[in-house]
Amino acid sequence: MRTTIKRLNKSLLATSIAFLLASQTASAKSDDMNQVYQDNCASCHGADLGGYLAPALNSATLKGRSPTAMRTIVLAGSFDTLMPPFYGKLSDDDIRGVLKHLQNTPKQPNPAWTIDDTKKSIKVYVKDESTLPSKPTYSIDDMSNIIGVAARGKYGRGEGSKAVFINSKTHQKIGEVHTGTAAHIIEFNPANPRWAYVKTDTAEIFKVDLYSMQVVRSVKTGFNGPGIGISRDGKYIMAGSFVPHNATILNADTLEPLKTFELEGVDPDGKMVSSDSGMIVGTPYADIFAIALENAGQVWVVDLKEGFPVTKIEKVGRHLHDAFLTHGGKKLMIAAYDDNIVAAIDLEKREIIKKLDAGCVPHVGGGSAVVVDGRTLGFGTNFGDCDKTVVSVWDLDKMEVVKQIPVAGGTESPAAHANAPYVAVDIISKDRRARTVQLIDKKTLEVVKTLDVGGHAYFPEYSADGKFLYISAGYNGDEVVVYDSITLQKVASVPMESPAGIFSRGRVKYMTRGLSPDEIGQSK
Amino acid sequence: MKITQLIVLLAGLLAFASSQAASPYAGQVKAGEVCAQCHGMKQPGVGSPFPPLAGRDANYLKTALKQYRDKTRVSELMNNIAGSLSDSDINDIVSYYSNVH
Ligand code: HEC
Ligand code: HEC
Repeated sequence: MRTTIKRLNKSLLATSIAFLLASQTASAKSDDMNQVYQDNCASCHGADLGGYLAPALNSATLKGRSPTAMRTIVLAGSFDTLMPPFYGKLSDDDIRGVLKHLQNTPKQPNPAWTIDDTKKSIKVYVKDESTLPSKPTYSIDDMSNIIGVAARGKYGRGEGSKAVFINSKTHQKIGEVHTGTAAHIIEFNPANPRWAYVKTDTAEIFKVDLYSMQVVRSVKTGFNGPGIGISRDGKYIMAGSFVPHNATILNADTLEPLKTFELEGVDPDGKMVSSDSGMIVGTPYADIFAIALENAGQVWVVDLKEGFPVTKIEKVGRHLHDAFLTHGGKKLMIAAYDDNIVAAIDLEKREIIKKLDAGCVPHVGGGSAVVVDGRTLGFGTNFGDCDKTVVSVWDLDKMEVVKQIPVAGGTESPAAHANAPYVAVDIISKDRRARTVQLIDKKTLEVVKTLDVGGHAYFPEYSADGKFLYISAGYNGDEVVVYDSITLQKVASVPMESPAGIFSRGRVKYMTRGLSPDEIGQSK
Repeated sequence: MKITQLIVLLAGLLAFASSQAASPYAGQVKAGEVCAQCHGMKQPGVGSPFPPLAGRDANYLKTALKQYRDKTRVSELMNNIAGSLSDSDINDIVSYYSNVH
């Protein structure tokens, strides 16, 4: 949730604009204003006014704030963050009205979204899937070469919001699907290369036919929350929400919901809490899903059999978020923001193995693991909201910390590949450093190079063959930049609006970025 | 790709020129920091109300910015933004945007 929250940029420019824009009176009905909010702001600030990718905007958080200063932010946007400028897009009356409404309205209760709502939300775009082409309609050697990019679009919704698919051998765009609101996560079906699933900021899931590059079905499983996983047999999807606090297992073919789980439990401090859904992952090792209950600090293992029974692993850590798999998918490394640890979980025995130091506010962002001189090393990024800005390296066999490598700032997402010499980490600290990605030599475990990518550089990802490193120059960079993974020379750029997450279909083969396909063999 | 190659090339050539000359590279950085929020690096966001700058005539852009700066052209936002730009900022930014195709 704190992924993209950045501190307010008090740029001189913004202040001087504020000075120029004199106040007027606005009186608009609260209902209308709620509509303006839901249509323009909710995808980032949360349908319940409780915040999501952006700060919470409600009577408590905005108490005593100057309406003029806030109006400036809305008009001009906040530089180098996701907050877009609404100048000319919303009328001045609407902007004043919506801010007044927000300053007077408390955070809304967690609204309901039931299994029936999910069922009713299913849209079918291609009725008869047998009419779809039986192979890709474009030339590609191997579907693993596909890289999907979540292009957010400047306003987090509208025409600019789409999932863009690129052939990572030619760096040419091969297709795109419009998602209405910002695409957030792209998952690939491990059993059938033709299907991908795109989840948006507003918890809509699009089933995409990669052969013909079109959406065949969609479903909405809640109001927001990035969690989505797919089972190893490609038959089930599990999607989790921040709002409301639940997760749903769906039939991956039809997107029909099969079961909804209310996420609540006793947190590590002994309090019963209702919980946001954190990461959800299917594993090549078994027919299960693992899901993190962020606030309850628990990991649930759901067996994909009659009734979908749950095994609960408690006291994993405070404020869990994202995770990655290792050891053939039998072990799960999960980050706990508030404990500054990554917990290693044995999915076979369904118990905690160990808790490892992970820097400051660990956000492993899908993680990376790579075999170096016979050792399997895991790499974990962290926001570094305190002074400690390091990338943690763990020996995943012994489950111990090998090194904490100092880097230039907070980091969000690491990328590794068996064939690439460097582990890439995106620096997200909010100043010029946000333009950069640092490269750590796999062997020496030192930072050896800093790339100035431009824009807000984040979400590095290697192509399936490891030859190229893809990086989003997000926010105002408006391109995905491609580097040769050995020479680190820039070789291509793919333009799109506010690109964010990059997802290689190769991940299906590697389970976790950086491992070799043999790793999955261990599970058999 | 072409754009960046061009920019790298230009930047290389300009390294030999006098320090007065416009630097599209510096312009790109400045554009990314300030202007792209509204005008985009290559094009404004789909559906956003801001005029595109990329690929436009250099003289036109320069004149427009100087007019905003001395307020002979009136726009709340642009008067204020251009007000803080030096001549060399303007040259840099314009040499970036006018060379994007
Ligand atoms: C695409 C995502 C996105 C959309 C859409 C969006 N915002 Fe924001 N907003 C942000 C982000 C990110 C921040 C934090 C900016 C920062 O840290 O400088 C922010 C900050 C703000 C702030 C300042 C909050 C504070 O505590 O300082 C206000 C006020 C605001 N937004 C209002 C709105 C309104 C009103 C709308 C709809 C008309 C809206 N935003 C739409 C992403 C968005
Ligand atoms: C907060 C939004 C915003 C930012 C940031 C911004 N502009 Fe503008 N710009 C506008 C608007 C709105 C207009 C249209 C104003 C008008 O009606 O004259 C405009 C117009 C222009 C024009 C005139 C285009 C034409 O077709 O005549 C130029 C040139 C320009 N801007 C350059 C820049 C440069 C260079 C920067 C960065 C230093 C910048 N702008 C930053 C909002 C912005």
